[in-house]
Amino acid sequence: MKRTLLALASMAALALALRGIRLEEDPVHSLAHPDPIRAQVFDRYQAQGLFRDLIFVEAQDLPAADAQALAAGLGEAGYAEAPLFDRPSPETVLRLSPLLPRAEVERLMGEEALGRRAREAASVAMLPGGDAVLEELERDPLGLGPALLVRMAGAPQGGGPAVRAYRSPRPMIYDRVGRLYDLLVRLGPRVHFIGGDFFALENYRAAHHDILVCTVMSLVLNLLLFHLFTGRRVLLGLLLLGSAASYLCGLVAIRAFFGEVFAVVLAYTSTFVGFNTESLVYLSGIDPRRKREAILGVGSALGTTLIGFLLLLAGRTVMIREMAVASLAGLLGFLGFLALYPRLLASVSFRTFRWPGVALSGRWLAALSLAACGVVALAGVPGVATHVDAFRFQTPVLDEQVAHFSSRLDALSLEDVVAIPARGSAEEALAALAAQGLVDPARHPLARLPPRAEQEATLRALSGYGQAVARLAALLEEEGIRIAPAPQLPPGVAPLDGWRYLELLGSLGPLRWTDEVGGQRWLMAGLEPGRAGRDLGAAVAVSPRHHYDALLTTLSRELGLLFLAGLVAMAAFLAVVQRRAVRVLYVFAPLFLAAAAFAVWARLTGSSIHIVHLMGFSLVIAIGTDYTAVTVSGGHGPVERSKVLVAGLSALATFGSLLLARHPVLRELGATVAAGCAISMAFALLVPLRQGAGEGR
Amino acid sequence: MIAALLAAALLAAPAAGGVVTPEGLRARYGGIRRLEAEVVQVKEGKHWARPFESRVKLRYTPGRVEWETVAPVQALAVIEGDALYLVGPDGKRRDLGPMAGDPRLEAILRFVRALLSVDLPGIERDFALTYGPGELTATPRPGSQLELFTAVRLRFGADLSIAAVDLETRDEKTHLRFERVEQDPAPAARP
Repeated sequence: MKRTLLALASMAALALALRGIRLEEDPVHSLAHPDPIRAQVFDRYQAQGLFRDLIFVEAQDLPAADAQALAAGLGEAGYAEAPLFDRPSPETVLRLSPLLPRAEVERLMGEEALGRRAREAASVAMLPGGDAVLEELERDPLGLGPALLVRMAGAPQGGGPAVRAYRSPRPMIYDRVGRLYDLLVRLGPRVHFIGGDFFALENYRAAHHDILVCTVMSLVLNLLLFHLFTGRRVLLGLLLLGSAASYLCGLVAIRAFFGEVFAVVLAYTSTFVGFNTESLVYLSGIDPRRKREAILGVGSALGTTLIGFLLLLAGRTVMIREMAVASLAGLLGFLGFLALYPRLLASVSFRTFRWPGVALSGRWLAALSLAACGVVALAGVPGVATHVDAFRFQTPVLDEQVAHFSSRLDALSLEDVVAIPARGSAEEALAALAAQGLVDPARHPLARLPPRAEQEATLRALSGYGQAVARLAALLEEEGIRIAPAPQLPPGVAPLDGWRYLELLGSLGPLRWTDEVGGQRWLMAGLEPGRAGRDLGAAVAVSPRHHYDALLTTLSRELGLLFLAGLVAMAAFLAVVQRRAVRVLYVFAPLFLAAAAFAVWARLTGSSIHIVHLMGFSLVIAIGTDYTAVTVSGGHGPVERSKVLVAGLSALATFGSLLLARHPVLRELGATVAAGCAISMAFALLVPLRQGAGEGR
Repeated sequence: MIAALLAAALLAAPAAGGVVTPEGLRARYGGIRRLEAEVVQVKEGKHWARPFESRVKLRYTPGRVEWETVAPVQALAVIEGDALYLVGPDGKRRDLGPMAGDPRLEAILRFVRALLSVDLPGIERDFALTYGPGELTATPRPGSQLELFTAVRLRFGADLSIAAVDLETRDEKTHLRFERVEQDPAPAARP
């Protein structure tokens, strides 16, 4: 009783330590490029990017009532309309003025245009709130800004639907955004919408569903299983309380190391009850007469589990590291909790069962393992590639929106933008890309940079700027209106070279066309359709979808190498603990079979290995190898086999519950681990190592 | 003595005197199909050489507002949907080019439309409302596109007919005095 009170008090303290932990809904936020220069190029592009704290809504032919409902929905969710292009400062407008054709400048400074501008300004100024127009007139008296906008962005389109941008509310209140999202879905297909908020919302909804469903299913199935095999209610209490302790330990560890927890990681912690069942099973009911074999089995099992988790800890994705930290802390927390009840653990007995098996000699075991490797070689090792779609939750609705806006961005050559390191002029860097057929230079903003001679001609025309401004002020004065614009062009207005032009352009709109990062000049350019996925050497994909695809594939390859290193570490550990090569081979044999099965499946379905598979493989070697390690350590005794049956069924129940998840990371993880554990369990239970085979070298 | 006190109390009461409530305004202006008024506007501020008085004919329907300045100059500005355009003496429409798509301008236009028809939900979208005797004060919500307005006050007659509107921005004060207001359906015909 005292021990239980101590455990409860410790858990209360852990729960208090969780205060202030933040929840992050979108797992994509866990991704950062390991190369700091590339990460900075991407982050700086995104910081100014189209989707930063904005949503976009495109409505076409919407009935008045729906338009009103949409406006009200946006307002209630806290969205405020924002301009697609920032209003340029007067200085920026004047610095960009050499881009205008000379004839346009002369027209804007002509008597007719000035007179019309004065009349229109006076008419609008007479409206309530009309002084805003006069402010604008003071900043840009001749209307150079709108003329530049038309030149750079094209004339306003008459027929097509307009895309409007709205600034996101911060903090985001999911319930309100959820109501808006549901409204937008209802208004489709006349309304299209996109924005990071909607991905976060879908992930929020999916994660909440997954946390609830997976935790309840996993807990109920494990408690039923444990009760079935031990028949003791007190052990159910131990598992339940211990799982709560391990859950809290895992979360406190995340709080200590990361500060915020990904919702997917929270849902993943529903698997702790499975890990805990395994530990509880292996550590309980140990026969004092066979303590050495039991300790060997438990040591091998826990050792391989720890190696599996440490492997994930070395991953470079924050979310995966969070899972590893939570798993390690959860496991240690549960072991610490069990340490309070040594007598209770010793008193447990498991129901035993008998079933036939096919005993293998060391030679046949080696042949089977070689055959499995042969199957892998024949089927071919699947390629490693991860797409961001597999990493976060998306609905068909969002997929449709992404496809719609991708096609629009593609039309603007913005769907797949890359940053390339450049030397020399911007024009030379673009020409090099065009020579490789990667970009269409006619669709790059540099195509709209006039030759130097034309810019100089425009500047000569602008020498009359002061006179034109004075004339406009005089015309307004006649209407009783006073403005005080800058009387002359500021010093330093000069013809623009490619880099200066792209810098100024980037300061106006939502897209950055050049940057300096790591002492290097970068040029941004939109790739031609069909060029995505090509190895562009030093180029950095800065469009989110392509950037994250490339990044996740790189991280997957790294995790694959870590997985192989983990296997070597695990083999070395088992060689030391088990002392016999054939026993180590026996422990690994189901992994060879699982690898063969995966290779055949990948070949048949045309699938590749992605990052979630690799996370799953790490968990399979952490959990699945325990079954063979425990049975071979215990000489395939009935108690060990019974324990493996409970632990194996528990893993199937736990990771099988993840198949009910909405989040693809959890579903794929559940399928991979459940399949791997099923093969390992079946092998450990049905294919024992022939007596005496483990005694030789 | 009593008569003197009564007289003093009556003189101290607000000139308009009507009790302004959201329910009252909704009953008076909700579902309005047409409103026409003659308005005297006085603007003064940084951009005006002297207080500028103009006479305006206001014509409101739910989809369109016409703001026709009849004196001292002739000018017609039309707000249709989220767009503002001018109509020249030749009767031809003159769009305002790229400025027309600016959300700040559109916010102003939405507000003007809501203000002139006393559309409470439309005004509340960007303003917090305070009701006082004979008047309604609107204060811009933080982060609104309309924070350029520092104060907006609507004054009503005893029958809640709109009497005056005062708008203040950092650099300008606008006073609108409403005369000969007609609306459809007429207030008396309303249930």
